[in-house]
Amino acid sequence: MKKDEMRATGLAAKRGVIILILIAVVAFSACFFRIGYLTVIKGDEYREKAEAQQLSDTTINAARGTIYDSNMNVLAQSASVWMCYINPSKVTEKNRTKVLSVLSETLDLDVVDLGRRIDDNAGYGYLKIKGEIEYQDKLTLQERVRENEIGDVIFTDPDIKRYYPGASMASTLIGFTGTDGNGLYGLEYLYDKTLTGTNGRVITAKDSYQLELDNAYEVAYEARQGSSLVLTINGEIQTILENALETALEDTQARNVYGIVMDTQTGAILGLANKPDYDPNDPFNVLYPQLTNYFELNGTDAEKADPVAAARMEQWKNKSIADFYYPGSVFKVFLVSGAYEEGVIDENTTYDCVGTITVGDRTIKDFNPTGHGLETPRTLLVNSCNTFSVTVGRMMGQELYFKYFQAFGFAEKTGVDLPGEGNPVVGVTYHDPAVSFTMSDLASSSFGQSINVTPLQIVTAVSAIGNGGKLMQPYVVAKILDSEGNPVSVTQPTVKRQVISPGTAATVASWMEDVVKDGTGKNAYVAGYHVAGKTGTSEKIGAKDQTYIGSFAGFAPVSNPRISVVIVIDEPQGENYSGGVIAAPVAGEIIEKTLTYLGVEPSYGDGEFAVKTAPVPSVGGMSVEDAKEALGREGYEYTVRVVGEGQTVVSQVPNAGVITPVNGVVVLYTQNNAEKEMSEVPDFEGLTVSQANYAAIEAGLNIRISGSASMENTVVAYKQDVAKGTSVESGAVITVSFRTTSGVHD
Amino acid sequence: MAPKKGAAKLIRKYFNVDGGIDILFFTFLMAILVIGLIMMYSASYVYAYQYTANHDSAYYFKRQFIWVLLGVAAMLVISRINYKTFETLFAVAGTGVSWLLLGVALIMPAHNGTHRHIYIGGFQFQPSDLAKFALILTLAAMLDKYHEAIVSKKPLQSNLARKVNETFNRPILNYSVRAILLMGLVIMIYAGLVIAGSHLSGTILIVAIGVVMLYLGEVRGKWFVAGIIGAGMLLMLLWNTDLLKGYMQDRIYAWQHKDFDPLGARWQINQALYAIGSGGLFGKGIGQSTLKHLYVSEPQNDMIFSIVVEEIGLVGAGIILILFALLIWRGVVIGINCPDRYGALIAMGVVFQVGIQVILNILVATDSIPNTGIPFPFFSYGGTAMLVNLAEMGFVLSISRRSKIRR
Repeated sequence: MKKDEMRATGLAAKRGVIILILIAVVAFSACFFRIGYLTVIKGDEYREKAEAQQLSDTTINAARGTIYDSNMNVLAQSASVWMCYINPSKVTEKNRTKVLSVLSETLDLDVVDLGRRIDDNAGYGYLKIKGEIEYQDKLTLQERVRENEIGDVIFTDPDIKRYYPGASMASTLIGFTGTDGNGLYGLEYLYDKTLTGTNGRVITAKDSYQLELDNAYEVAYEARQGSSLVLTINGEIQTILENALETALEDTQARNVYGIVMDTQTGAILGLANKPDYDPNDPFNVLYPQLTNYFELNGTDAEKADPVAAARMEQWKNKSIADFYYPGSVFKVFLVSGAYEEGVIDENTTYDCVGTITVGDRTIKDFNPTGHGLETPRTLLVNSCNTFSVTVGRMMGQELYFKYFQAFGFAEKTGVDLPGEGNPVVGVTYHDPAVSFTMSDLASSSFGQSINVTPLQIVTAVSAIGNGGKLMQPYVVAKILDSEGNPVSVTQPTVKRQVISPGTAATVASWMEDVVKDGTGKNAYVAGYHVAGKTGTSEKIGAKDQTYIGSFAGFAPVSNPRISVVIVIDEPQGENYSGGVIAAPVAGEIIEKTLTYLGVEPSYGDGEFAVKTAPVPSVGGMSVEDAKEALGREGYEYTVRVVGEGQTVVSQVPNAGVITPVNGVVVLYTQNNAEKEMSEVPDFEGLTVSQANYAAIEAGLNIRISGSASMENTVVAYKQDVAKGTSVESGAVITVSFRTTSGVHD
Repeated sequence: MAPKKGAAKLIRKYFNVDGGIDILFFTFLMAILVIGLIMMYSASYVYAYQYTANHDSAYYFKRQFIWVLLGVAAMLVISRINYKTFETLFAVAGTGVSWLLLGVALIMPAHNGTHRHIYIGGFQFQPSDLAKFALILTLAAMLDKYHEAIVSKKPLQSNLARKVNETFNRPILNYSVRAILLMGLVIMIYAGLVIAGSHLSGTILIVAIGVVMLYLGEVRGKWFVAGIIGAGMLLMLLWNTDLLKGYMQDRIYAWQHKDFDPLGARWQINQALYAIGSGGLFGKGIGQSTLKHLYVSEPQNDMIFSIVVEEIGLVGAGIILILFALLIWRGVVIGINCPDRYGALIAMGVVFQVGIQVILNILVATDSIPNTGIPFPFFSYGGTAMLVNLAEMGFVLSISRRSKIRR
C-alpha cells in the first residue's frame, strides 16, 4: 500500500463520510421522532381504534332499578333473560341448514327472514338474533346447538328484561322501556338515568376472526346497579281507583276517564290512572275497543299503520297531567274562595237567581231555567249556580279573578315529577288581563268555561282548600334507594304558596260538604266520611258532535282531609253526562274504599242511614234457641232461617263479622251435610235503599249499599254486582249501587 | 524454510492471519441479532400457529434460528478471508451470478404478480438480496481500480473524444466521465433487472446503494446534482404517464388518502399504525402484542417493526435505533481506518446499506412514505436475506482485522 494513496483515501473520503453520517443521524432522529409522535401523541387514538377492532367488549348490563309502590310492592322490575347471537362468518355451506333450522325452531323466527339477515352480515363476526329469551328456551337452544355441533356459530349471553307484574296498573304513570332497556315513557323515561346505573364491561381481546385470544387479556369493569324508586302510589288505592275508572268507562262508554287520588296534606299522589291505558309488558298492543274503534284500526297493515301509531300514542299518554279540559262548575270553588278571601263576598252576601243573566250580548242560563231564588255563596256552590258565579266574577273583576287563578296554580305547571305535563299558555289555555281578558271571557271563566286546566291542577288546587290553603307541589317519587336499599333521597312535601287563609279554606270546605250532602254532589256521599266536593260539567268546544266532560273534585273527611280525588269523564255517551251523575258516584266509591283501607274511622251523624248495618254476630255452636235469641236483640232483629233437624248451629250464612243490614237474613244450618238453601237474586234497579233492603230480605238475601245511602226517594239503585235471576246461597250479600239523577245537574 | 515461508505467504494472501475482529462492532451486531430473533419469534408465533400445517408456533423461529446459525458461521469464516485478494473475482462473479439469478427470477412463473423470487422445491430465494451485496462489492472494486481516473481530469485520448473536447474547448470526455458512466451503467443494469421483476423497493435500495457507493468513492458533487435532476425528471415522467405499475399507484394513492379502502389497500399500514400507537412509551411487554393476532398481516415480515414498537414501546424502539446507529458508526470507523480503499468502501457501503434499509422500513411502517416492502435487517423473517446480511457483516469483520483503529 502506497503512502499517498492512504492519505488520499483518509482525507477525501472522510469529508464525504461525515456528510453521510450527518444524513444518517438526521434520518434516524426523524424516524425516532416520528415513532414518538405516533406512540405518544397519536397513541391514544390508535390504541382506541385498535381496541375497537380487536377487543370484544361485552356489556354486563347493570340491573335496572326496581319501581315500588308505597308498600314496597313491585310495580316494575328487571329480570335476567338471555339473548342469542351468531358469528355469521362461521356459517358455511355445510352448517347453514342446521343453523337456520335450530334458530328458527327454538326461537320461533321466520327462516327466510333469518337467512337474509345472515347473508346480509356474512363475513362479520357478530349478529344479534334475538333478545329476551327465557331461561327454558335458552336451555333448549343450547341443547340443540350441542346436538348439531354448531357451537362455533351460535352463542348466548345474559340479557335483561323488564317486567311489570301489575300489567296495566299505573301504566301511564310508570311508562315502559325499549328493547335496549332504556326508558321511553313515564317514570321509566324521566328517571332513566337514576334507574339505569352504569353498565359493566368485560373486555377480552379477539383476533381478526373474532376468536378469543389465549393470552388472557381481560379487563372487567363492574356494573353499578341502578337505583330504585319508591313511589307515593299505593297499590291498593291505585287498584281501587283503576277498578272504579274501568267500571265508569264501561258504564258511560266515555272516550277517556281520568282519576287522581292525592294526599290532601302533602300533595303526594296515591293513585293516578287514565283509561284506556295499556300493558307495559306489551306496550304496542292496543287493548281497548274505544281506541280500536276511534282510530278505525281495521283494514290492511299499510292502511292502519298510521292509526295504530296514533292509538299507541294515545294509550301511552298520561292525559290526567298532560291534557287540558274546561273544568266547568268545579272551578266555582276557586272563584268563591278568592272572592271570600278578598272580602268581595261573605257568608251573608245574597243574590236572587232568576235563571239567566246577560253579559254584553250574551245570555247565560242556569241548568234550572226557573232560577234558584235567593242564594248565598253556600247555595251558589250547592246549586252550582251559573248566574251567581258570573255576578261574583264581575264583582271581583279581571285582576282579582286572575290573581286567584294564578294563586291556585292554573297558570303554571304543577311541577310534578312526571314527564309530559301540560304547559299552560296565556291566551291559549287561560286569560291574563295584562294580555287580553274581556268581560265575556270573565263571565264564562267564572263558571269554568273558556279556561283550560289539567286534572292534576284541579286536584292540587282542591287539596289547597282541603288543607287550610296551602298549594302543594304534587309528587310521585317518595324515595330513591340505592342498590343496597339505602335511601339516597327522600322527597319532602313542598308548599308552593299559601293561596287562601285557613279560615277561608274551612268555610269553603264546609260549603263543599253541603254540596255533597244536599247538592249536585250527592252521589259522592259516603256515610260517616264527610265528603266535600264539587261537580262540574263542561261542553267540549270544537268537537263535531255535542260532547261533554263530567267531573268531580273533592276531599274527605272534611275536618281533616286525608285524600283528595278528581274524576274526569271525557265524552260520556248517552243522556247522563253531568259530573254529578257520572263522576260523583265514582269519586264516592273511591273515597269510601280508600278511607276504609286507610283505616279512617267513620263518624256518623244522626239519620245518616236509610238502612242501619252491623257485623253479623257469631252464633256457631250455640243451640238454635240461643242463636235465635242472639240474633233478635233490640235494634238487631235479624231475619233468621233454620235449615236442618239438629239442635245446634253448625254453620251460618253470612259468616260472623260480615256487614249486613241489622234486619238482614241469617241462615242457620244445624246439620253438617245439609243441602244449601238457595235464593234467586231480585231486580233492584230503580228501588230506593229501603225498598231494596226489603226486597233482599224477601228473597232471603242481604244488600250492601254502595254509593249514596241517603233516604231521599230520588236515590235509587242503578247497579247490582250479581245479575237479577241468578241463584245464590241464601243469606249471601249482594252489593247494590245507588245514586240520584235528580238535583245533581249543574 | 523457503517452502514454509512461501506457504505462509500464500496463506497470508488468502486469509487474515493477524489482527482481531472489532469487538464493538461484533457486540452491537450480536445484540441486534439476539433482539431481532426474539422479536421475530414474538411477532410470528400467532401467525405461525394459524397458518402452518401443524399449528407450529415456532415455525418461523426455528427456521430463522437455523439461518442465523448458518449466517454467523459464514460471517466468522468470511472474517478470516483476505478480501483484497479476491477483489476482481468478487466483482465479476458477484455481478455475473446476480444478473443471472435476477434473469432466472424474471422467467420464473409470477408470484403475486411479481418476479422477485426463485423457487426451487419448497425453497425460495430473492436474488435482489444477493444483488445488493454484489453491487457493493462490484462498485467498491471499480471505485478502487478507477480511483485515479475518477479524480483526474485527464481527457480521453480517442479521436472522437479529442474532437468533442476541442469543439467545447473543455475536457468534457475524460477518464473520469468514462469511469463514472461505466459504473452508472452497471447500477442501471442491476436496477433494471430488479425493477423488471416488479420490485420497486429493491430497485430503490439498489439505486440508493449505488449513489452512496459513488459518493464514498469520491465522485464529484456535480454528478449527484445531475443525478438528482435526472431522477426528478424520471419521477415526473413516471408520475405523468402510466408507467408506474397499477399497484404502485394504489400504494401512493393509499398513502395520500388515509381513509381509502381501510380493509384493502390501507389495511396493513393502518394495523401497523395501531400497533405502534398502542405501544406507547414502554410498550405492552414482549409477547403482549394484540395486533399480531392476525391484524398486522405477516407480522414477521416487513411490518415487524410495528409489533416491536407495540411490545417494547418508544423506548425499546429508541434502543434498537441506537444499536443500529452504533453499528453504522462502528462500520464507518472500521472503513475510515482501513488502509485500502476497497475495504473502506465495502465496510461503509455495507453499514450504510443496513442503515438505508432500517430508515426506509421505519418510514414505511410509520406511514411516512408510501408502502413498499423493505425488510427490517436482522429482524424480518427471511433466510437468504439473513445469510447475505451476515456475510456482509463478515466482510466488515474481516476489514476490521486489517483496520488501523486505535483501540
